[in-house]
Amino acid sequence: MTNRVMRWTGVGVVVVALFAGLGWMAFGRGSDGPVVNVYSARSHYGTEEVFSRFTEETGIRVEILGGEPAALVDRIAAEGERTTADVLISTDAGFLWRATELNLLAPVASPVLERQVPVNLRDPENRWFAISRRARTVMRSTARVPEAQAPTTYAALGDPRWKGRLCLRTSNNIYNQSLVASLLAERGESAVREMLTRWMANSPTIRGSDAEVLQAIAQGTCDVGLTNTYYLGNALRDDPSFPVAPVWVEQVGSGTHVNVSGVALTKYAHHRPEAVKLMEYLLTPEAQGLIAEGNSEYPVREGVAEAEWIAAWGRFRADRAPLVNAGRFQARAVRLMNAVGWK
Amino acid sequence: MSAGPVRPASPVTATIAVVAAALVSVPILALLAGLAHPATDTWARLWDTILPEALLNTVLLGVGVGVVTCALGTSLAILVVFYDFPGRRVLEWALVLPLAVPGYVLTFVVLRQWDGSGALPSVARDIFGGEAIRSLPGAILVLSLVLYPYVYLLARSSLAGQSRSELEVAQSLGLSRGKAILRVAVPASRPAIIAGVALAVMEALADFGTVNLLRVPTLTEAVYRTWYGEFDRRGGTQLASLLFLFAILLLAGERFGRGNRRFDQSLRRGTETSRPRLRGMAALPAIALPVTLLMLVVVGPGAQLVVWAAQTFADEGVSRYAEPAVASLILAGVAATFACVVGTVVAYAVRTRPTRAMRIAARIAGSGYALPGAVVGVAVIGVYEWTDDRLLDLGRSLGSEPQLVFTGTALGLILAYLVRFLSVALNASEAHMQRIPSRLDEAAESLGVTGVRALVRVHLPLLQPGIAAAFLLVFVDVLKELPITALLRPFGWDTLAIGVWQATSDARYDAAAVPALAIVLVGIVPVILLTRLGRDRGRS
Repeated sequence: MTNRVMRWTGVGVVVVALFAGLGWMAFGRGSDGPVVNVYSARSHYGTEEVFSRFTEETGIRVEILGGEPAALVDRIAAEGERTTADVLISTDAGFLWRATELNLLAPVASPVLERQVPVNLRDPENRWFAISRRARTVMRSTARVPEAQAPTTYAALGDPRWKGRLCLRTSNNIYNQSLVASLLAERGESAVREMLTRWMANSPTIRGSDAEVLQAIAQGTCDVGLTNTYYLGNALRDDPSFPVAPVWVEQVGSGTHVNVSGVALTKYAHHRPEAVKLMEYLLTPEAQGLIAEGNSEYPVREGVAEAEWIAAWGRFRADRAPLVNAGRFQARAVRLMNAVGWK
Repeated sequence: MSAGPVRPASPVTATIAVVAAALVSVPILALLAGLAHPATDTWARLWDTILPEALLNTVLLGVGVGVVTCALGTSLAILVVFYDFPGRRVLEWALVLPLAVPGYVLTFVVLRQWDGSGALPSVARDIFGGEAIRSLPGAILVLSLVLYPYVYLLARSSLAGQSRSELEVAQSLGLSRGKAILRVAVPASRPAIIAGVALAVMEALADFGTVNLLRVPTLTEAVYRTWYGEFDRRGGTQLASLLFLFAILLLAGERFGRGNRRFDQSLRRGTETSRPRLRGMAALPAIALPVTLLMLVVVGPGAQLVVWAAQTFADEGVSRYAEPAVASLILAGVAATFACVVGTVVAYAVRTRPTRAMRIAARIAGSGYALPGAVVGVAVIGVYEWTDDRLLDLGRSLGSEPQLVFTGTALGLILAYLVRFLSVALNASEAHMQRIPSRLDEAAESLGVTGVRALVRVHLPLLQPGIAAAFLLVFVDVLKELPITALLRPFGWDTLAIGVWQATSDARYDAAAVPALAIVLVGIVPVILLTRLGRDRGRS
């Protein structure tokens, strides 16, 4: 009997401790001082040096809540006027467009932001601004595909000579969806449908992530693929002999597709001055350098250099069509990808 | 064996049960209500493209995971309950450990190995083909390896709690021990086994991480594609309600498999001495199967994670995972406590007042498990939004400005866990409750002990192993949970699973190793505690 009493006492103590911990976590941790609350879809949020540097320089604490972009947008919508989010940071332009459609963002009149962010890399009504550029282009095996023979356009991946040699990421991925959406806006449905049909005719090997596509090219499962360049940049930072190189496509045409990671002020932000300060800080040369180096992305601000391990890729011509297209045409892009059988 | 209602429960239990069931059901019902306005064009378009394959894959995945987890979980449970062999005491609890390995973590480790340059993977690639792991059988295999503990855990506690006398009678009538176990002991534990299989299958149907990495487009994948990709939340959630249909079918199948019988038993427990010891050649397969399994699922991937984690350690240290570990522990512990209390009360109410309404309420409350976490999250946040808006109106009419009560709060997060994971506790409680003879209820009633008092004094002591198993399952489930946590948590509540997501979503697997290892380690704590509790009881 004592055994039983002791056991129940033990259970009781554990339960009380749990609820005490819950209460402390929920209510006991308040800290003072200026703060800005960020909902961020960038996956390494919180570990990015740029935010701690901002706090050092301004004394404003940055609280970051990470998540899938769609989920963060849904949450801001649900929280309404009482949202805790001051700033939304997205990994692509599509969801920023989505947030503007849902009327969740506030325009920001900031001469700094307007000067530093080119018109095609921000919302026409200044409700969001790019903080980094992410090019999506063809990747080739340096061992098996000489530069001269590599595809020079997106459509060229549909050339029959890449049959069985092409790797793609799943079509449920936002970066593929944004690329197809941008092409839809520029070229129209029938041209893009034909391009995708020819890609599919090459029986592409499908992988679950950009990193796996690069790995598959490096290991010889395929010879060419399509990924964001920073995945290759990060691989090269770890292993300079990684046998894959980018091919800048569409250099005689409209330019390589470039998506952005962007920042926005929420409509009901409770720390507006701090939020705008953070947004402006993200476009300073120092912050731009940190963002670019941290994830091998391309900076938005003129005059800031990319990371040295990707400098050898050289300059390229980027597609300058407005990025709102990526959002506006995204749903149609997904339907088209489903229809041609891109898994 | 008797069937049917025992006697009316006290109104208190019934009321608690109905309120709890209703609370949990609201988001699910809200989701279903959306079907009143079908997104016809979405359905038509998807039917012409990805839906047929997704449906087929979903059904095959469910059947495959069901068969494999049933075979694996039951045979392992039989092994450790009815036989003794070197290492049994360690294996008994170690076999639960794969539960603490999130499916997406095992998947990325397996993929790294498969694509790697090791001798074993290249032989496997030659035999099965380079893409063999990225396939439906691959997904069934990986998911079954982390989900079989649902069956193992419930089957083990049920088999161990059985009286040994029937088994002895069967053997005295000339059946070999093996046959006696299969014909007498296993059928008596059928409710627990089926409950475990149902949980494993529902979890598999709701999985996104594994099927996405292994490229098996299922219904859940189609939901993500439609909702995130096409911004079509209505179409996406309607697709998800197909999963709800699967869950209902599965639960109906579970009832059917369980039959109308109550598995009343005498309550004398088995003793340790009744376990024959396997020796020599007979012991070899008994040890080889579980050890191989654990090498594949826990030791191998664990070692790989440790290697990766060591690099991360050197780079950034572990201190940033202290707070996530605490957050994970608290959320998992509180949610599991709630789930066990509510699950037991609802199961008790169904037992004592098995009206049709009560049964249906319990079924709906227990169906959230088959819905993908992201869908539960969105259904829940819709209800929270509405409730918080009403509370705001109410507060303003009273002249105050209330805070958000549910949306983005710890309370809201824990309630959402309950919506998704209550079925785990409910299934386990019901399966164990069914084994308690109704004559006990009658005896208690004749002594004037009814309602909550009867539950606490008569049923709870007998339900202890079942509730302990349920606590463990929910605890580990919450520990691994990702989409609901990502959608609903307040600032400062980043869990370990969030840490894993942070790293894996950018394919930085090395950085994912520390939080992934931490999930496994934190998950082991209750496994060991509960095993110890079980042993103490066995001795006393």
